[in-house]
Amino acid sequence: MAALIAIPVLLPLLAAGIKLAIGARLRNLQGVISISALAVNLVVSAILLVQVDTHGPMVARIGGWEQPIGITLVADRLSALMLVTSSAVTLCVMVYSVVSAYDRQEDVAPMAIFHPAFLVMLAGVANAFLTGDLFNLFVAFEMLLSGSYVLLTFGGTQSRIRAGATYTVMALMSSMLFLIALAVVYAATGTLSIAQLAVRFGDLTPQVKLLVELLLLLAFAIKAAIFPVSGWLPDSYPTAPAPATAVFAGLLTKVGVYAIFRLESLLFPGGPVGTLLLWAALATLLIGVLGAVAQADIKRMLSFTLVSHVGYMVMGVGLATVAGLAGAVFYAVHHMTVQTNLFLVTGLIERRTGTTSVNRLGGLMRKAPLLSVLFFVPAMNLSGIPPMSGFLGKLALVQAGLDVGGLLPVALVVAALVTSLLTLYAIAKVWGKAFWREQGEGEVAPEAGEEPVERSLTTQPGLYGPVSALIVLGLAYTVLAGPLSSLTVRAAEELMARQPYINAVLGVG
Amino acid sequence: MTISLVPLIVCGLLVAAGVTLVLERSLVRVLVGVILMGNGVNLLIVTLGGNAGGPPLLGQTPPEEMADPLPQAMVLTAIVITLAVTAFLLAMVHRAWQLRGSDEVSDDTEDRWVRLRARRGELGERVRARQAEYDRLVAEQRAELREPTRGEQLAHRRADRRRLKARQREARKQMRRTIRAERERQALALDPELEGDE
Amino acid sequence: MEPLLILHAAAALGAPWLVRRYGRGSLLLLAAAPAAGFIYTLLGPEPSSRPWAPALGLTLSFRADELGLLMMALVTGVGALVMVYSSRYFASADPGLARFAAFMTAFAGAMLGLVTADDLLLLYVFWELTTVFSYLLIGHNPESRSSRRAGMQALVVTTLGGLAMLAGFVMIGQAAGSYQISVILADPPQVAPVALVLVLVGALSKSAIFPFSAWLPAAMAAPTPVSAYLHAAAMVKAGVYLMARLGPAFGDATVWRAVALPLGAATMLLGGWRALRETDLKRLLAFGTVSQLGFLIVLFGAGTGAAALAGVAMLLAHALFKASLFLVVGTVDRAAGRRDLRGLSGLGKAMPWTCAAGVLAGASMAGLPPLAGFVGKEASLEALLADPLVLVAVVAGSALTAAYTLRFLWGAFASKPGRKPTKVQRPVVLMVAPAALLAGLGLVLAPLAGWYERAMGAYTAAFPDPGHGTHLALWSGVGPPLLLSLVALAGGGALFLAREPVARLGSALHITDSGVAFWSAVRRTDLAALQFTGIVQRGSVPDYVLLTLLSLVGVGAMVLSYGPLPALDAAVTAWERPEQPLLAVLIAAAAVLALRARSYLLLAVACGLTGYGVALLFLAHGSPDLALTQFLAETLSLVMFVLVLRRVSNPPVPARLPFWLRLGLGAVTGAVVVVAGILAMDARQAQPVGDLMAGAAERAGAGNIVSALLLDIRAWDTMGESTVIVVLTLGVTSLVFLRRTSYAIDRRPPRPRPGRPWLAAALPEKDRALAFEVAARLTFHTILVLSVFLLFVGHTRVGGGFSGGIVAGLAITVRYLAGGRDELARAVPVHPGVLLGAGLSLSVGTALAGLAFGGEALRMLAMDVAVPLVGTVHLSTVTLFDVGIYLTVVGMVQDVLRALGAQVDEQVEAG
Repeated sequence: MAALIAIPVLLPLLAAGIKLAIGARLRNLQGVISISALAVNLVVSAILLVQVDTHGPMVARIGGWEQPIGITLVADRLSALMLVTSSAVTLCVMVYSVVSAYDRQEDVAPMAIFHPAFLVMLAGVANAFLTGDLFNLFVAFEMLLSGSYVLLTFGGTQSRIRAGATYTVMALMSSMLFLIALAVVYAATGTLSIAQLAVRFGDLTPQVKLLVELLLLLAFAIKAAIFPVSGWLPDSYPTAPAPATAVFAGLLTKVGVYAIFRLESLLFPGGPVGTLLLWAALATLLIGVLGAVAQADIKRMLSFTLVSHVGYMVMGVGLATVAGLAGAVFYAVHHMTVQTNLFLVTGLIERRTGTTSVNRLGGLMRKAPLLSVLFFVPAMNLSGIPPMSGFLGKLALVQAGLDVGGLLPVALVVAALVTSLLTLYAIAKVWGKAFWREQGEGEVAPEAGEEPVERSLTTQPGLYGPVSALIVLGLAYTVLAGPLSSLTVRAAEELMARQPYINAVLGVG
Repeated sequence: MTISLVPLIVCGLLVAAGVTLVLERSLVRVLVGVILMGNGVNLLIVTLGGNAGGPPLLGQTPPEEMADPLPQAMVLTAIVITLAVTAFLLAMVHRAWQLRGSDEVSDDTEDRWVRLRARRGELGERVRARQAEYDRLVAEQRAELREPTRGEQLAHRRADRRRLKARQREARKQMRRTIRAERERQALALDPELEGDE
Repeated sequence: MEPLLILHAAAALGAPWLVRRYGRGSLLLLAAAPAAGFIYTLLGPEPSSRPWAPALGLTLSFRADELGLLMMALVTGVGALVMVYSSRYFASADPGLARFAAFMTAFAGAMLGLVTADDLLLLYVFWELTTVFSYLLIGHNPESRSSRRAGMQALVVTTLGGLAMLAGFVMIGQAAGSYQISVILADPPQVAPVALVLVLVGALSKSAIFPFSAWLPAAMAAPTPVSAYLHAAAMVKAGVYLMARLGPAFGDATVWRAVALPLGAATMLLGGWRALRETDLKRLLAFGTVSQLGFLIVLFGAGTGAAALAGVAMLLAHALFKASLFLVVGTVDRAAGRRDLRGLSGLGKAMPWTCAAGVLAGASMAGLPPLAGFVGKEASLEALLADPLVLVAVVAGSALTAAYTLRFLWGAFASKPGRKPTKVQRPVVLMVAPAALLAGLGLVLAPLAGWYERAMGAYTAAFPDPGHGTHLALWSGVGPPLLLSLVALAGGGALFLAREPVARLGSALHITDSGVAFWSAVRRTDLAALQFTGIVQRGSVPDYVLLTLLSLVGVGAMVLSYGPLPALDAAVTAWERPEQPLLAVLIAAAAVLALRARSYLLLAVACGLTGYGVALLFLAHGSPDLALTQFLAETLSLVMFVLVLRRVSNPPVPARLPFWLRLGLGAVTGAVVVVAGILAMDARQAQPVGDLMAGAAERAGAGNIVSALLLDIRAWDTMGESTVIVVLTLGVTSLVFLRRTSYAIDRRPPRPRPGRPWLAAALPEKDRALAFEVAARLTFHTILVLSVFLLFVGHTRVGGGFSGGIVAGLAITVRYLAGGRDELARAVPVHPGVLLGAGLSLSVGTALAGLAFGGEALRMLAMDVAVPLVGTVHLSTVTLFDVGIYLTVVGMVQDVLRALGAQVDEQVEAG
């Protein structure tokens, strides 16, 4: 069974290699390869989740090298759950991009570009979820980043180059910070294996511990877009092609969040940073959602809610209780799905109307009823309308916050509720203008610095498939709320207990 | 292990130089800055990794005199990644140059747009305030008018009614002028959905 | 209960199809769902409970006690009637009919769930669902701005309350250890007053109590059936229901009364007073509803059994007459085409049945015997006798009620002097019957008051404070209540007669509408959001980088401030190798050059110099592999810089921060890094893993430990990094080749030249340098051989796939530089995509092979094959892996040369 762990990384890479070798010809084959690879991934990760949930963490020792010499891949409840969610989501996105022929844009390019980049990015994400080695985590980040650079600048329009510059520079900064942190970690402990680090950090002085923790935290915070290093996200994500933005929104920030989960629970249990995290969460929640209220463009509004809702997960980590962590994990699962979903739907709107600016949209409910439903359901899910998963995650976090009590946690609960209200308000504004209001009312001149987006009025019913699948997935979290929430609780307990992971990797007991 | 200062200082130096360049607006300079930082950080990894020693080749150096090979492997990976990133960013520079004849990393227009709308919103609030003030003026003048002043003669009343009318017209005209001026300065106040009250 | 809810859901989902199929008649069919609910109510539903998400305390538990049954009956009964009514109210051509049918049915289901849920969180779920559906229903004809605004207002206000309520629920649930309502009622926990206040905020906002009342009149933008159902009978009662539900547990808390009584009374008076000058009949009724809701809140806020008894009586009565009145208004509106009382006259004669229904319902609203409203009013007055202040308010409120009832009936049906009768078309039966039925029930049920009281006995008995004993009876003799209601009626009559001055006075005293307050609040929020975001979201990269670096400095500051720096116990030396200081000086010089360089080329060169310096430092530290790779990489990136920068001139781009500031920040950052490094080195106790690597390499059978690490022990990293190379190379391609240009370099026939050329160079004569060409020609293969040598020797000595690949790349580069792009095409006849793909597939394939045959990904397989004449040859997948990397690197270089080299050449030539 442990042999399966490496598959989610290797399969996409193999597919990417094959695609490159066969070149840009045989496009349909390209699509088939990608989709089937991701489908297999989904199955494999589902099996992994079941296995891990029943038998505890599983370890793959790459190249058969024992700890601490070699690199290990570790699947525990958290990583497996993340893996399952991400592969389900990415499968939908891949189908979308194949149907929508976003990959056809590479007619202009001499090689297959979209698919390989996409697949390598996914391999990087999977690797980041699975790796048990800190430096390998760095490599995984670089993999997914390199893929995202290419996808973000796909087509090389002016706005995409600008966005790409913002994104790349910030990503490089975070990589630099990560490398510095790695240097410090190895100097202080002489090892890179996360499990062994968990043991060795115990012997360090609190000062050095704090140093390491904060350095790593900063590096991950940039990836997870936590205030004060969140500004780059809304400036870069919205300009990418719809499927790319969807995957970025769904997965990339979550990788950072996942890293923070691991860091805080496994490497630095307790410690003084919890309070700091809570403050960061507070700022992220409110600043993000205020930004969302201020936007006049659906994609940007969504990007700001993305930033804001990362605050929920950080809140859960900062509370440093099983309930809080469980809530955070639950919310992460929900958020991966619904954000991707919304960005895909926005892509549909863009294809249909040629714009995503609410000042120029209008009358969509009359013109495209089905599209309206496809937007409304996940939008309500995002704004935490019960009984959908957004509400369940929020509920878990509110319960956790009130359980902990104290001034800051309660303030966070208030902030969480305010955020939820303002998210709903921002969504309702968009709904009222783009879907309810008839076009022509309050028409304004085209905004500065915009380029005509690719627009095809030929509505492809095939595109509704993956989007609806994502909606169903989002609603399934409600139906399966019982098993899912208890699973997240078990995952959180496993994280907080630390020993299962450490023992499994170091082969103790 | 022994801390040797010179390499550390070199790291700090390179990082400092890198930061100085990264904070610029020209993409090329930013790239160079990143490379400098990268060199510094790579050096840092090796330096912090362990003391200097012989090359880690079996049979050439006895294991206890070797420099720690693990940081070397890490840095080797990092170097190659930096190389690839350099190639990509250079291509980006080329593209930016093709598009705009400059490699400047320009600001995000949407954010400027938000700032603009904020200013418009403030103006809109000012307009609303003036309108309210004007309405109040008219209202109290009306009340003044409606007051039953039996004592006075009709002529008197007609006279000051005319005066009041004139004043109102004057006020209204001036009000309209100011409002038009404001409105010209700002296309739409805040958000058509939120304008006006029930 | 679940089957019923599922029925509603199914009906809602099927509704659009039904409507498209059968038109408005299908509403009659859909009315079956609530009707079924009504029948189910009469059968007396069993409590049911099943877990949903135990980890969150969510259970699907439903229970219908007396109160629940009452609400169920109201929700389902009125729901069914309203559906029947709407089947004629809407024109078949109404584009929104399908939507209306779906949302209305769904709302009925949600409301049913709300009143039967036995779990606080479950109740909240249905609560919010009703909010959303009412939002969608209010926006029935979204073209009108007012209905959009009304929807938004209702949504925001009720959700605000709902979220507060959620927090309150969680606090209560955690205090009680369970969210089960029956459990909480069984033994009420000690909860913080703030929890109750939060819950009350939710209830009051839902029931449109001051200061939340403005959304209800605004919501009259919705179609009349919606108003009749949501805004009279069902949804606005949710808040009242919640108070009634929790009253037995928390009714005796001081904060409960302190909040509910004053606000309720104020709402009753304000609403009634406002209704007196409304001319739109529907809005008039809306303000009436607000006033009545205030009354109900007063009754349940009193928290006594007696008041609660009066409350449930009033609840029933109000649902009946108010729904009926709304339906009547709708009928009038449809019949006369308008509903402003100034424009209506003589409708009493024109539509007698409607008029009768209206009068009957109105009489009940005004509290005239022998109607349900009278019973409720009597009981309430008696129950409140203890509390004179509230009593006065209620009597005044009743007077206002009587007044606006008269105004309504007069305005709707009376024939006004000097106004010719409005011409109307006869309303259909299906529209009049529901109203008449509801109004009639008010008459029929009144005599059953005693039975009703007994039925409600169990509920009212649950209140800890029985309060001033009261009874429901059609005639409870002459007493204070009767006198008081006479007073109220008289006052109401007086107010009606003086309606003109009253209305004038009203608008004179009118200060502001809470709707205005709401919208200005919303505007201010928006403005604040804009301003704030404008400040926070600068949209400029240097700012973001600055923030990041400042955070890094902040990290340093936090660590230093955490405690005094420890005395270093590790030994400190200036340098370990004599050459280090020399190199340091060189690097410093190069860095300064980089900082001062104006031209980009100089900048690139300076950057390269620092790179070489660092390479030498690596060598000094004892890592030749690193030095070699660094050296080659720097060279290659220098070439790439030159290739790109030959086109890109550098206009001065003003930096965001002045040079010295940036330098200062840089210095601080550098210091932070150095100090962090020293701290870390000082903290090292454990033996580093690196020491184990020598043994591992030996086991791997490699002499060069670093390459053993790269190719075997940590090959997983290497694989990842080679994918990074591949993808970023693709990125270069996608950025340079935007149109399908001649990626395959067209081989033009070489121009005839005297003598045999050294290269098939396409460079124009002036660019050619014979010596260079000769050198390139001669060295090319030698260098290639060297690169292959490096590749294979890497396992035991310095070298390896990377260095080999880059060397080969440099050979190609030289060839290209000497001979231009034709030469490049000759040098490597293979498509770079193929090289990259093959390389990637090789390394990944090795990993999979290891997984397949060795049980672990990337387990390196080795075998010795006996080759005749040669002897045994040691084959290992390590070599394949390394070859993969070699190919990848070569592919990268070739592709970069094609993109940034050849392609750019063409663009240059194209001009």
